Amino acid sequence: MTATLPCRSETVFIVDDDTSFLQSVSRLLRAVGYTVQAFASASEFLARLAPGMSGCVVTDLQMPGMNGLELQAALRRSANPLPVIFLTGQGDIPATVNAMRSGAEDFLTKRAPKEELLAAVERAFQRDAQERQQREQLQSLRQRFDELSQRELEVLSHVVQGRMNKQIAADLNINERTVKLHRTNITRKLAVQSVAELTRLVDEAGLFPAPGDNPAT
Amino acid sequence: MAALILGLMFFGVPDSHAQALTNELGVPAKRVLMIFNESKDVPGNILLEQALRAEMQQVLTNRIEFSSEYLDASHFSDVEHFRLFQDYLGKKYAGQKLDLIIVFPSRDYRLAGELPDALFPGVPVVFVAVNEMEVPEAIRKHGVTGIVQRFDIRGTLGLIMRLQPDTRRVVVIGGKSDVDRATLGRIAEASQALEGIEFDFWTNRPVAELPDAVKSLPEGTVVLLSTVINDVNGQTFYMSQLAQTLAPVASVPVYVLGGWVLGSGVVGGSVVDSEDLGTRAGQLALRVLNGAKPEDLPIEVATKGTPMVDWRALQRWGIKESRVPAGGVIRYRPQTLWDQHKNLILVSSSVLLAQAITIAGLLAQRRKRRWAEAEILAQRMELAHVARVSTMGQLSSALTHELNQPLGAILRNAEAAEILLQTDQPNLDEVRAILADIRRDDRRAGDVIDRMRTLFKRRSLVSNRLALRNLVEETVALARSDAEARQVKMSVQISPLSPMVWGDRVQLQQVLLNLILNGMDAMDATPRSRRSLVVQVRETKDGYLQVAVSDCGTGIAPDDAAHIFEPFFTTKPNGMGMGLAISRTIIEAHGGDIRAERNTPEGTTFTFTLPRMKPEKAKAGLPKTH
Repeated sequence: MTATLPCRSETVFIVDDDTSFLQSVSRLLRAVGYTVQAFASASEFLARLAPGMSGCVVTDLQMPGMNGLELQAALRRSANPLPVIFLTGQGDIPATVNAMRSGAEDFLTKRAPKEELLAAVERAFQRDAQERQQREQLQSLRQRFDELSQRELEVLSHVVQGRMNKQIAADLNINERTVKLHRTNITRKLAVQSVAELTRLVDEAGLFPAPGDNPAT
Repeated sequence: MAALILGLMFFGVPDSHAQALTNELGVPAKRVLMIFNESKDVPGNILLEQALRAEMQQVLTNRIEFSSEYLDASHFSDVEHFRLFQDYLGKKYAGQKLDLIIVFPSRDYRLAGELPDALFPGVPVVFVAVNEMEVPEAIRKHGVTGIVQRFDIRGTLGLIMRLQPDTRRVVVIGGKSDVDRATLGRIAEASQALEGIEFDFWTNRPVAELPDAVKSLPEGTVVLLSTVINDVNGQTFYMSQLAQTLAPVASVPVYVLGGWVLGSGVVGGSVVDSEDLGTRAGQLALRVLNGAKPEDLPIEVATKGTPMVDWRALQRWGIKESRVPAGGVIRYRPQTLWDQHKNLILVSSSVLLAQAITIAGLLAQRRKRRWAEAEILAQRMELAHVARVSTMGQLSSALTHELNQPLGAILRNAEAAEILLQTDQPNLDEVRAILADIRRDDRRAGDVIDRMRTLFKRRSLVSNRLALRNLVEETVALARSDAEARQVKMSVQISPLSPMVWGDRVQLQQVLLNLILNGMDAMDATPRSRRSLVVQVRETKDGYLQVAVSDCGTGIAPDDAAHIFEPFFTTKPNGMGMGLAISRTIIEAHGGDIRAERNTPEGTTFTFTLPRMKPEKAKAGLPKTH
């Protein structure tokens, strides 16, 4: 039997235009011990979305106005891309929806057993926590790079490509001593010891994507 | 509203008493002034006014005060009299608050335009007229609406030929005034459609000479009474006066254009039905009284009459009742044939007995044919059933969704209740609320199933009185979830108050559902933001209700337009090509028609019509209003 979970800060945000279903899912998840917030439409939920909110979204796929897939897309563009679990009333889930399953989200029918729903919520919570941590790390890393001046960033981009000071000076049309000065400043501001460490940090922050890393470049 | 609130305050008082109090307490009744061009005793106007008042009072009981004024223009036609009448009205109603003016202008539109505009500016005006004149443009400037009923001359000539196919000559009796000449002109125009029939226009004989003249008309002739506002001697005759003088003495049947003339010995005609006209005018007046602006309501010009005959005249001229067209009204039929024709029936039955043997033989043949006909009908029913089931198949995934919604809610609620009951001190109030919700969702699921089941049933034709509004709304509800899944915006617009039709509910639903699903199919390639489907119910001028389903889809290719209603014609990869063919069979069996038109800039509108039930028959279906 399901044990009541200790109170936690994560919230399940439920979005469904069918008030009757909305209420029944809210009741179930509350009874199990989750903190729940219910919304009758996607736009209502998005209007309340704040960066500090953690947990996951459980949404109906078919809704008048903004549907579930559109809600998911809007979340992804937002500063707080919470994981989304789709519930659908469809008996046979259409092929398009099946294809979406390759993504990270869960698709459940509205009449799926409770255990499946609860497991999906747990997975989504874990994913949210993980992604949230990664986002925070990345952010603090990027803050360190933010301290560099425009010229220092320029020099850095040449350094991580393994170019010599003399070449960099020629490329940027500046004095070789000035290049050295910039390098000293960079290592001091980023508190790194070696070029190898510098390269790793730049990679982690995804600062200068090399051609091929990102098809858009 | 105010009356309702007061009514509630005095809810302890008996009804009639409460109403009297309401009026004493100063809730103003509506004041309606009726202005007639004629004198008080014009038969057509009496029926018209009665029906109009009845219609208005049925909705607004005890809350309308009517005043009537008569210009009596037939007897006093000089300018001075009109001026006196206007002065009289101005003085009499000075300081009175009028809510509506209803004008029976006959042929004088000044009564509906200039006069009320000068005396009662700002008071809305509704008129109702039976004439052949063009509605003057100027009247529209005054913010006036109304109904003009034309004489159905074409329909009356058609009825004459139907009742008496041997007719060779029509004697038309008419007058000399402008109005008389306008009516005669229209009769002459319509006469050209009847080849080989001779038309005589008697306009130069004083009415006093006519009774003698119609006494000896030869067989194969009929008399048609036009209007005689002035005969050659300048005398005025009402249609009913003419009919009463001529019909009883004429040697041939007499036909008329106004329904109020029936009973005077005439056969009938495709006539102006004063009661129906009064009812329609009453409905229009109510709309204005309830706040609609007259200038927003177009002036209706009705041209279709009601076939109406006097049963006794049919007997007199030996015209078979079976010749009266379907939908025709037969007046003055005695209660039982037995009372009237006991002897005739006894004699006939002995003749019938002698003929029985012959008939028995004929019957055997006839039965064979009947069986064949029944089989065809059964096949058609079967086909309609198959088409219906396939239509439902298209809907089934959407319906699954609609069913899974309440079923899912029931499951989640049950699970929640289980968990609640496992705790040490279960919250029983919450559990009770859950059980109530489960019950409600169960009903919701049941409703979906009921709606499906009526459509799946295999059945024969059943004709009933149907409220078209409910029928449309239920059908749209069936398609609603499918529309949501396909991102189609669906809307319904129903303009008549309570449109009633005769028909088979399931079959009509099938037609509408088919059109709605077709419309959604046609929009598969339309961008989502533009996918919209509109179902509209309108009333046409000739007494039909029109249901239109418009989409913004790909439209019909011009080459296909001629074939879409043919069986086995389809443009869909999986289509059977029977939907529209069956729809047409069904609609035509209901006395209507169905057609498709291209919309500009895009899409198609499918429209079908159904004969509207007459208001007096439909009354039982009207919503009750305070």
